[in-house]
Amino acid sequence: MGLIALGAGIAVLTGAGAGIGIGIATAKATESIARQPEAKGDIRTSLLLGCALAEATAIYGFVIALLIIFILGSK
Amino acid sequence: MAEELIEQLENKTAFTIPILGGIPIAESCVVTWIIMAVLVLLSIILTRSLKKVPTGSQCILESFMDFLDNFFIGVLGESGKKYVQILETFIIYIGVANIIGVFGFVPPTKDVNVTAALAGMAIILVQTAFIIKKGPGKWLKSFLNPINVLDLLTRPLSLCMRLFGNVLAAFVVMELIKVAITSNLGVPAIGVPVFASAYFDLFDGLLQAYVFAFLTSLYLAEALEEEEHEGKKEKKEKKERTLLHKQKRSCFIV
Repeated sequence: MGLIALGAGIAVLTGAGAGIGIGIATAKATESIARQPEAKGDIRTSLLLGCALAEATAIYGFVIALLIIFILGSK
Repeated sequence: MAEELIEQLENKTAFTIPILGGIPIAESCVVTWIIMAVLVLLSIILTRSLKKVPTGSQCILESFMDFLDNFFIGVLGESGKKYVQILETFIIYIGVANIIGVFGFVPPTKDVNVTAALAGMAIILVQTAFIIKKGPGKWLKSFLNPINVLDLLTRPLSLCMRLFGNVLAAFVVMELIKVAITSNLGVPAIGVPVFASAYFDLFDGLLQAYVFAFLTSLYLAEALEEEEHEGKKEKKEKKERTLLHKQKRSCFIV
């Protein structure tokens, strides 16, 4: 039981990468909006798209953790 | 609580067609049929009496379709105009399928088979567009570059898993909230999950539909783009031109 919890915990650590990556991307996006406010729409679209793509890897970790807890934990 | 959640993760069979030894029909298939029926009925009703000067619901319909059209043509360019309709079908179906959790159904994209089929369709669309535009010889030759072989494997996998993971995560979080409120606090879960549902179900579902369609159109645009590498004739012409240019300049100096 303890190892299952450990495994699930390690699986969710992929969220850290997504958080850092999206944070850096948002920082650059706000910088570029400050430099050129007319391109706000394009920048916002690129930012949302990049965030959705980066979020995917965090979601993979979340799904694996769920599967570990619910399938391995109930055997 | 854990057992109910495990039940939610499974794919239930709704009914079984009693021919050829019983074909089980999964629940996601039935919900897909419901979505198809609703969308087809809507499209028939909304386009019944179109007027030249739009009024009312036709205005909303036209602005929505214009928005989608401009978005996809912006990514694909003029040469991809015939592929816009299938991409719009993707985005409308996946958008509705992700949101339908709000209406009490189980979203069909929670089933990994559905998302795998969607990703497979998208990749087959891209490869077929490549073959139609540039011929099967070029398609086979493109696999000499190992990055293309890798792309053929990882792109559908990531499309499938991204959509499945997001929808599953949203569904599980909503179920956890509902179970936590009803079984731990004892009150029926009304009102409080709305904010969580607004983010997880609506925003995340629509965003994932948009990402799926946008990525497919990006791959399509990449497959359809005109390649600009120089053939032997152009290289020779370029050499002659620079030689002539050098001769002219040396004449000047002399």
